[in-house]
Amino acid sequence: MGAPDITSGAPTVVVTSAKAGIVKLKAGTAARINGILMFLPYFVLLVMFAIIPIVVAFNVSIGPSRLSPDGGLGNYLFVLQDFRFLPAVINVGLFLAIYLPAMLIVVAGLSLLLDTVNMKYTVPIRLAYLVPAGITGSVAILVWYFMLEPSYSPFAALFAEVGWTEGTDIFNTSNLVWIFALMAFFTGAGNWIVIQYGSLQSIPDDVLEAARVDGANAFQMAFQIKLPLIRKYLVYMLILVFAAGLQIFVEPFLISSSVYPGLAKDWSLNQLSYTLAFTGGNLGAATALSMMLMFVMITLALITIYRTDFFDEAVVRAKKGEAK
Amino acid sequence: MKMRYLGGLAMASALVLSACAGGGTSGDAGESSGSSDSGSSAEGANTLLIYVDPVREPACLAYQEKMAGEVDITCEVVGQEEILPKVVLSNQTGSGWPDVTFNPSNNVGIFQDPLNGYALKLDDYVDPAIIDGYNGSGDWCKIEGSYWCLKNDLAQTVLWYDTVIFEELGLTVPTTMDEFAATALELEGTGYVAGAIGDQGFYAGYLWPSGCPISTVIDTDTVQISPDAPECTRVVELVQPLVDAGVLDTRGSFDAGFIEDIARQQKVAMQIGPSWWGQFVIRPEDSWGIPAGRMTAAEMPSWAGESTNWSGEWGGGVWVGNSNHPNPQIVADAIVFLATDPDMRADKVTFPGYTPAFEKWREPLTTDAFYASDPTAAMVAQVPKIRQTERPARFDLRGQLGVLGTEIQGNPGDIAGAVRTFMEGAIELAQGVGYTVVD
Repeated sequence: MGAPDITSGAPTVVVTSAKAGIVKLKAGTAARINGILMFLPYFVLLVMFAIIPIVVAFNVSIGPSRLSPDGGLGNYLFVLQDFRFLPAVINVGLFLAIYLPAMLIVVAGLSLLLDTVNMKYTVPIRLAYLVPAGITGSVAILVWYFMLEPSYSPFAALFAEVGWTEGTDIFNTSNLVWIFALMAFFTGAGNWIVIQYGSLQSIPDDVLEAARVDGANAFQMAFQIKLPLIRKYLVYMLILVFAAGLQIFVEPFLISSSVYPGLAKDWSLNQLSYTLAFTGGNLGAATALSMMLMFVMITLALITIYRTDFFDEAVVRAKKGEAK
Repeated sequence: MKMRYLGGLAMASALVLSACAGGGTSGDAGESSGSSDSGSSAEGANTLLIYVDPVREPACLAYQEKMAGEVDITCEVVGQEEILPKVVLSNQTGSGWPDVTFNPSNNVGIFQDPLNGYALKLDDYVDPAIIDGYNGSGDWCKIEGSYWCLKNDLAQTVLWYDTVIFEELGLTVPTTMDEFAATALELEGTGYVAGAIGDQGFYAGYLWPSGCPISTVIDTDTVQISPDAPECTRVVELVQPLVDAGVLDTRGSFDAGFIEDIARQQKVAMQIGPSWWGQFVIRPEDSWGIPAGRMTAAEMPSWAGESTNWSGEWGGGVWVGNSNHPNPQIVADAIVFLATDPDMRADKVTFPGYTPAFEKWREPLTTDAFYASDPTAAMVAQVPKIRQTERPARFDLRGQLGVLGTEIQGNPGDIAGAVRTFMEGAIELAQGVGYTVVD
């Protein structure tokens, strides 16, 4: 296939009218122009706010700095050898090891459940999932702080039962990864449950009907029919969630800069990048770290596109094939 | 095929971007307010772009009005953490510097660095009488023999104490740290404490006055950080028994639990703290909310063998000028007004460094019924006694002080270990910005 990749949908005419070569050519040119026109506004923004900043950042990252006067890869080496780098990698790794499986299991489980329950209740339940997701970012972190700080928490009596009577019993370095995973999970899970519920809705009725006729119960339907059919959407979610998790910043930054100064200082990689730029004025090292993070992100994005069939046009056909 | 890859690249970028924007895990730290082009130094010799925090904005606006017709002044409220990156970015592009900035105290260490070059050397543009008016308390800004900033306020530590508790227990105000420890031990079992140390206050009130070298900058490339110096170990030896006896709280002074359980219950018998604590921490209803007639401040106790009862500092902002401005005199004049004008600081919680300014500032407090006696006498006495061993450095000591608090809170039984971890981190930070660290 050629050009139509970007403008999926439009070129169906081309594919079906294989007979008339001239028509195909004309239609192909038109589709190409349409495609370019549709892509252009995005392309302008992409250049202005992604490509140019990335090029500038790359130039800064290989430019001279106090510790790398000759430029080149010195800033990259400096970051890799920084005493805060490895702990940050470990922190973020642990965080992802908790956050990703939790998201996958809970989101898949609850969206399947939502899809199975009686239609009468799905709307209020869907709303219930969205409520925590409505409190996002910095506000969510403050809410969680008040929930977890024994002096303020409505659950203080509960905490006291397990011996947590002071803020530092909960907010200490060994608990941080769990606290941040909890915060990130509750702000993100609800949205994804509703989205995955949406992807479950896209499963053709005839497939489900066939399964039902063959005698599958709700459990078998969920795990043997529905789950495999939304697998690629779950993979897509995992990759986006991984990307967001790898860049964790607000949770440790806010806790560390306001309520418990220094508790989670330079806890994550993005925080380290921020510190290098904002408190050390070392833009070279900060951009070097950002470039490394971006490399991981782009690799992941390319894997999503080329190694999963998420962006495959023939999704529905493949689905039907699998189901048979 | 080409198109396919272009499409792939576009989608890859979209994924990366959407990941950046999605969820609660991305940061939006540092949003600039207003236009930063207006009044930029490149435009002319009679324009000034001034960066202030919200507290300092009225002073800037007053100066703007005062100079109307002579100097075109733009006041911009900017987050404290934004100033450094903005200056670094301006250095990168060679334009757009703010001409006067209100900074956290350590920024001057970075801006004075010749490789940064932002800070204007004030010696030739500021009347020496102004510098003299600081009585040496402005020497934080003196680097390599020249002045690179003016202090906005002093955060010198004093000994805050509760006269009602002292009377109840028959205690006398300690004048040495050994007496401080003995007095603190008398609180054992009474429920009263000698303050909290799980934050920056331990550095400002104990380690710094003792002379423990943590940010002792020797020259542009050398800093002394000595975890094993007796000035450091004696602090730990004095404090650990007090922590073990439960008379020093290892939480921070701003910890919600400490405020609720101790401070608001009027259980703080005494605490070493900065001069701004009276009006900002001890007095306000929504903070410690201590009733009137109880608290006052005494001079700092002195460490054994020291002829001076030194203070440290917790905060204290500085005004820095732009060395790239075509007319340095108007930059310096603005700094002098903003840093010293008595009318601009009378109603603020912080203690002004410049003598005529603090005379005006202290006046209402000397007879304020909230205090058991005039707390400003001790503050004034400490002005020339801010120990100048700790110096502005290029590494982020302020951030590292958070680690000190966290370590103390996490290991109350091992203050020595907490201090060592903090100082070893400081050594790595200092090396990370190119210092040679000496012991």
